[in-house]
Amino acid sequence: MNNEWLNDLRRKMEDHTEDVPDGLWKNIREELFVENEEKKGVGIGLAANDLKAKEKVTSTKGYRSLFYRIAGVAAVLGIFFIVGKMFDFNFENKTSNLIKPIDNHKYESSKTSSNHQKLSGKKTDTALQNFSERRNNLNTIEINNSNQIFVAKAFGKMVNKVRNQIDNPFLNTLDQNQNQSEKSNNQNTIQKEEITIAELKESEENQPDNELLSKEEKGWKDKLEEEKLKITNKKSKKVWMVSLLTGNASANSTEQFPGYATLNGTTYSLPEIRNLEMGEDPLMSILLANQDKKVDAKLKHKTPVTFGASLYYNLGKRWGIGTGINYTKLSSELTSGTSSNFVGSEQTIHYVGIPVQVNYNVIQKGAFTGYITGGGTVEKAVSGNIKTQYIVDGTVKEETKENISEKPVQVSVNGAVGLQLKIIKNIGIYAEPGVGYHFNDNSSLNTIYKEKPLNFNLKFGIRVSLD
Amino acid sequence: MEETKEQILVNRLLKKEETAWKELFEVYSGSLTYVCSRYVIDKEDVHDVLQNSFMQMFRSISSFEYRGNGSLKAWITRIVVNESLKHIKQNKSLITVSEDFEIPDETEDEEPDFEEISQQTIMQMIRSLPDGYRTVFNLYVFENKSHKEIAEILEIAENSSASQFHRAKAMLVKKIKEYKMSKTAQYE
Repeated sequence: MNNEWLNDLRRKMEDHTEDVPDGLWKNIREELFVENEEKKGVGIGLAANDLKAKEKVTSTKGYRSLFYRIAGVAAVLGIFFIVGKMFDFNFENKTSNLIKPIDNHKYESSKTSSNHQKLSGKKTDTALQNFSERRNNLNTIEINNSNQIFVAKAFGKMVNKVRNQIDNPFLNTLDQNQNQSEKSNNQNTIQKEEITIAELKESEENQPDNELLSKEEKGWKDKLEEEKLKITNKKSKKVWMVSLLTGNASANSTEQFPGYATLNGTTYSLPEIRNLEMGEDPLMSILLANQDKKVDAKLKHKTPVTFGASLYYNLGKRWGIGTGINYTKLSSELTSGTSSNFVGSEQTIHYVGIPVQVNYNVIQKGAFTGYITGGGTVEKAVSGNIKTQYIVDGTVKEETKENISEKPVQVSVNGAVGLQLKIIKNIGIYAEPGVGYHFNDNSSLNTIYKEKPLNFNLKFGIRVSLD
Repeated sequence: MEETKEQILVNRLLKKEETAWKELFEVYSGSLTYVCSRYVIDKEDVHDVLQNSFMQMFRSISSFEYRGNGSLKAWITRIVVNESLKHIKQNKSLITVSEDFEIPDETEDEEPDFEEISQQTIMQMIRSLPDGYRTVFNLYVFENKSHKEIAEILEIAENSSASQFHRAKAMLVKKIKEYKMSKTAQYE
């Protein structure tokens, strides 16, 4: 067999060069030298986040944030309704002393929200029980699975094939379990939210009846109402509004399953590194250090962050349509391994989207507008990357970064109730608690939208009307 | 003993001087791009793999041992090869080459003559090989790996590596012949 020509081929090609990809040095320089200094600061921030994240992994986590959510909604609604009434009250008495009533009403609102917390607390108790039961089930599965991994590891090189076979079906079933429990949690959440909102409304509706207004006062109130109506009628010409919003969509989600995992679905394997002769490989160190320990992969989706600017066009007194542009950042963290030796990946995807909304103004009282809104958003992923850190004995051994080439389009629909408060002539602030549903984008990316397509969100923003 | 240019550069690289790293990039990036492009076809992927390779060099330069002239190039080349393989594995489908091909006869004893063929053309021929064949071929020819080693790296059977290599070689010989034919046809 003559392979001599192959040696010639190698010799011939030895000094060959190819065109270097554009901007490569620039990117490398940014990674190594520019960011190097900035990263230190960010690193500390991230570390703090990680700590928080780890704390949150406890089973109560989901419910704690649920409390916050309910309390938040209750407080926002309570404050808006009560402050709204306070304004009326002030009009009635024509007093300029605003400070005192505000204090009182603040107290009241905190009282109502704490009541609602108690109410919802009862409901969560049963849910908590369910959850802990499920967790126990999961734990037993975990233990079984890790045993199998342990045994598998003893077989050295066979490890990966065997483990892949063991892991995959288990991971799948675990995923399903998790998804199911997640879904039911979601449903619970929404039901409760609906209940609390309904309760709030009820109590708000009841309150005016309980108030004893003298005929004189009622007369005053009616007149004021009329005046205000006139004013709003005058003002509700067709106007363009620009709004800025920031969204806080529901809580983050955490999943845990045994074994190693990666964000893109591949598995780590030992032989990959075995023949590298360039010193110790961090992944190797991690796999070796964790050889006889129980390893877990934790997938945590962080709360989406949204910023945007939008334009509203008022169609008559009650209807309005709006569109605009918004930016959403989704990030997820995946850690595989034990607490001191692990592979941590962080996936960040940036979306730019165009929302279309229809608003219907239900009530208009003074500076307040209560409305319901519904619409859809089309979002396109503009960029994304996965950063992977290999941590051996608590120190970062290696860090890689790769870009996500998949850029799916995400379609979602949402509905919300909103309250807007006009601060000065053409600037208002608004709060919109609502529910959104994200359709499957048929991509392989694993995001919070996939995990929890139906989520509760709360948007705040400033609207500037352009007349 | 007087330090060679390469040694001086290594010392500066160790201090993580930006100018030193830029120099390293300027001197070797063309050759490293060639190495990477042997394995990875997509241009953006080549960019990413090279970027990761430089990150890797930056992190592990302290573990580099100078063993005479050319050892720096050998070291960084090895890193690029490793990163390229890592990339190929992450995009797994590339390695699943069907094994139901017939191994061509080993009778063609005439060596292909590529004296007059440009490096660029040969590069194109190598890059046009199917992914699995190309990876095996590159590892065997350019990285001097044995079939046993290749089998371990790619997690395939040893005879699969050998058969893929023969197939790749046969395809390349065929490509060179065809190229020469078309060349001579042009002159006639």
